Amino acid sequence: MSLPRGSRAEPAPSRKLVSDAVMGMLLFVFTEVMLFSGMISAHTIVKSRSAGQMWPPFGQPRLPAEETALNTAALLASGVALLVAHFAFRKAPRRAQALLAAAVLLGAFFVAFQGREWVALLGEGLTMTSSTYGAFFYLIVGTHGLHALAALAALAWAWWRLRKGTLTAAQFGAVQIFWYFVVLVWPVLYFRVYL
Amino acid sequence: MMRRAWALPLGILLLAALPDVAHACPVCFDPREENRFAFLATTIFMSLVPLGMIGGVGLWLRKRARDLKGLPPEDPSESTSE
Repeated sequence: MSLPRGSRAEPAPSRKLVSDAVMGMLLFVFTEVMLFSGMISAHTIVKSRSAGQMWPPFGQPRLPAEETALNTAALLASGVALLVAHFAFRKAPRRAQALLAAAVLLGAFFVAFQGREWVALLGEGLTMTSSTYGAFFYLIVGTHGLHALAALAALAWAWWRLRKGTLTAAQFGAVQIFWYFVVLVWPVLYFRVYL
Repeated sequence: MMRRAWALPLGILLLAALPDVAHACPVCFDPREENRFAFLATTIFMSLVPLGMIGGVGLWLRKRARDLKGLPPEDPSESTSE
């Protein structure tokens, strides 16, 4: 059938470059990266002002860097488990179930361990108002903890849908981006805040 | 009329000569080298992060477009349900 003169042919249907869920999550993660960059920058500047003085300030407890290193390893392992789950999902979705469950459990361990650490630090006198050091610690690590909780809930939701057989590749992709962000931003925070 | 045309620019020029030097940058005159360096480093960091992210996604989309070229349109009901 010939097209009327002056009209343009409809483009052939093609694959979407990125799903809406993945694009939306990418934009969200971009804003979160800027949020954490701002907080890390502020922390770096305040810390630099105390050059030659004590950091942490006198009378403030030291952060448990060694114990948190173990927790960091658990979070990184969770990221690796999710990455392996991603490849398994591409081959046969049901194969990813156990790996996704492992990622959720390791993530839950991280959040629980952080909660335990906070309780101990509060007991030692490190609070939001005890010093700038404490304020930055709770602000930065607390913001990350909130993100970890939300991403963990998303991971658990993805696992539930995968179990029911209704998880789409786009949904899994979006959840993965969120969790990778939580996993990859943590080592930066750990080196800046704890060490 | 000609006098009025000159009055405004001349007035602005005179006002510009009045104020003292404004030190708008809070750290440019900080004697602590660590603090000045921290400001400079974080300014560079905060400027490059968004550019890096946008550039990274741009490259990824270009690669993805190349990979998808010629593939048939995807099935909208693509899910794990069998």
